Amino acid sequence: MMDQFKIGLALFIFLAIPPVASFMESVMVIHMHMQMPMLVIAGLLMAPFFQKQFPNFFEKWNENGIPGILLFIIIISYWLLPRTMDEALSLTSVEIFKFISLPFLAGVPLRDSWKKLSDFSKNFVITLFTIVFLGMGFLYIFVPVQLCNNYLIIEQIALGWAFLLTAVGMIVYLLYVAFVDPSEYE
Amino acid sequence: MEAINANAASLKNKANEILGVNPEDAKLTKSFLLVSFVALLLGGLFGLLQGINRAGLLELPSWLNYYQVLTAHGLLLIVVFSGFFMIGYFYSGLSHTLGGLLPKVRKLGWIGYGLSMFGTVLVVIMVLMNEATVLFTFYPPMMAHPIFYFGLVFVVLGIWSCCIGAFIQVADWRKKHKGQHLPILSFFATGAFVLLLGCTLFVAVEVLFLILPWSLGWVDTINVMLARTLFWAFGHTAVNIWYLTAVSAWYVIVPRVIGGTLWNDTLTRVVVIALVIMNITGGFHHQIVDPGISDTIKYMHVFMSLAIGFPSLMTAYALFVVMERAGRRKGGKGALGWLKKLPWGDVRFLAPFIAMLAFAPAGAGGIAQTTFQLNAVVHNTMWVVGHFHLTLGMSVAMTFFGISYWLIPFISGRVLTPAMNKLGVIQTYIWAAAMVLMAFAMHTAGLFGSPRRTSYTTYGDHAAALGWDPYMLLIGFGAVLLTIGVLIQFYAVIHLMFFAPKGQTEFPIAPKEPGDVTGYWTERWGVWVVLLIIVVAMAYVVPIVDMIVNAPPGSPPIRPW
Repeated sequence: MMDQFKIGLALFIFLAIPPVASFMESVMVIHMHMQMPMLVIAGLLMAPFFQKQFPNFFEKWNENGIPGILLFIIIISYWLLPRTMDEALSLTSVEIFKFISLPFLAGVPLRDSWKKLSDFSKNFVITLFTIVFLGMGFLYIFVPVQLCNNYLIIEQIALGWAFLLTAVGMIVYLLYVAFVDPSEYE
Repeated sequence: MEAINANAASLKNKANEILGVNPEDAKLTKSFLLVSFVALLLGGLFGLLQGINRAGLLELPSWLNYYQVLTAHGLLLIVVFSGFFMIGYFYSGLSHTLGGLLPKVRKLGWIGYGLSMFGTVLVVIMVLMNEATVLFTFYPPMMAHPIFYFGLVFVVLGIWSCCIGAFIQVADWRKKHKGQHLPILSFFATGAFVLLLGCTLFVAVEVLFLILPWSLGWVDTINVMLARTLFWAFGHTAVNIWYLTAVSAWYVIVPRVIGGTLWNDTLTRVVVIALVIMNITGGFHHQIVDPGISDTIKYMHVFMSLAIGFPSLMTAYALFVVMERAGRRKGGKGALGWLKKLPWGDVRFLAPFIAMLAFAPAGAGGIAQTTFQLNAVVHNTMWVVGHFHLTLGMSVAMTFFGISYWLIPFISGRVLTPAMNKLGVIQTYIWAAAMVLMAFAMHTAGLFGSPRRTSYTTYGDHAAALGWDPYMLLIGFGAVLLTIGVLIQFYAVIHLMFFAPKGQTEFPIAPKEPGDVTGYWTERWGVWVVLLIIVVAMAYVVPIVDMIVNAPPGSPPIRPW
């Protein structure tokens, strides 16, 4: 468990190193589809440490996993807004908020909640993000104007396709869950 | 009466399980292998013409030009010989390790065979009519006759049919054998067919959406960069699938032939999974000098391509562990004494062993080509030709030859006689010597700047070009030796298929090492496929969007021949 925490912390620090951060933020799709998820993953890895340190807190506030997953959805939805990406690049305070919110307010609660959720809730969350990602994909591909001041339209289109492919990946997973019964094979 | 029939049927199934060969499945594999080796014969003869042309000894007549021969040589050997062999070999592996093919899978196999054959015939006719002298990469803006591309479509449809058949077979077996591990050879087959399906999707998009409308005249221009990128997502993966096929024999068959055991079952599966996930994205290193791809993307792809080196190094380690273990158990002493205990006189071991050895310089050369600056030195020179004669011509082809000496007797109900084995050993030495000679000459001439894909010319007796001539003569000599090798191999295949003495031959599958327990997580193909999609998306989304959105006006068709 400590190992996971160390890996998560190391990843978090690595992502925060200025040259790494500025490289990842220089390409729109890497910013949104690599840096942000990796921050969440850093949080996922660090979560057991916090769960162990503050067991009462998680038990009291995240008993059935719903508050945690709601917090996760809110934080992720916030970072899906084009404006927030722009602000992260131009305002230091928002950039700091990004590095705090994604690991600690999205990654940690996700890990704490996921095991507590029922299969239905898990699939509901994935379906929700599939729909959102499809919407985001079409928005970024077909919108005729620049949505972020900091990124060109061409980058916006690439990000749109990345959203669509991620959604396709999730659809493949949902179909797999719906039609393949693992107990038939395992 | 029905009960008796049912009894007879179950008896037949039991007999098949014990003897290990289902006659109907054997027929399917035999058909695939026959086409494969006929392609080897024809492709080899075309290779001879090319070799002696490049040596400056033969001027090809106007009705059969160098580039036409080159196209036929490439397509017949890289696509038809390897592809048909791979499907035939893995289908017999699936049949043998999973208790016989399901009737519908066999049907899909035959449909696949028919479609691919039909497509191949269309392609070959167009090439022979000099209507498709576009080399095996069929790069636009060179445009062939539309029928050539329709032929390719049928080949791909045939491949898909075989892939789907394999997946159905594996899924069905897993349903009936809950909690059991897919036998290792079928695991390799699953990985290879997943990759085959994944990579042919790219070339299908290229041919159906870009090239066909353009070659039929519905649109005037084509996006050349996009077509090349889609092609290499396929082309690079295809040759790696042939390599994965050879690797399966190194891991599973060779240990049995030398009387040893499998390496580590879990780690072998990890190698397969790693090769499946990371392979398609390697395609970009074929385009390192292409314009229109940013340096950043090319830099990223150096890493993505070199990642494949990791499982390959695992393979190199594993195979020598297996050989050393077997050699020591037979009483080999000292640091290298175990080498003496290996069956050097057995073609089923010798051919794949030399194939493995060849992969060391071949892999090293591949790493050189993948690296940005080094690629700039050798790009489009004879070096590259030398590289793939080591990888495909030695590593893959010699393994396939080694397999043919037991697989063909196995499916034909015949045996490998000592005389045929000896012929096989001779063939192996001829082939190895010829390929080493030829590949060495090609690599060297390439370093001196001799271009690939170019008919013989002295560039007006330019001194640099004349300096290549000794190497070109070596290439010609190698090609002659290889033709002898091809003829012996073809004779051996026909003999083993139709004339060798009847008898039972073993399908050699090595047993596990005692106490080797496989991790069940390796069976989660759903996860591996999702990871494959993610890696492909990471590699291709940014450059492909760039190529489409910032596309140049496009190119009209060009016919340089």
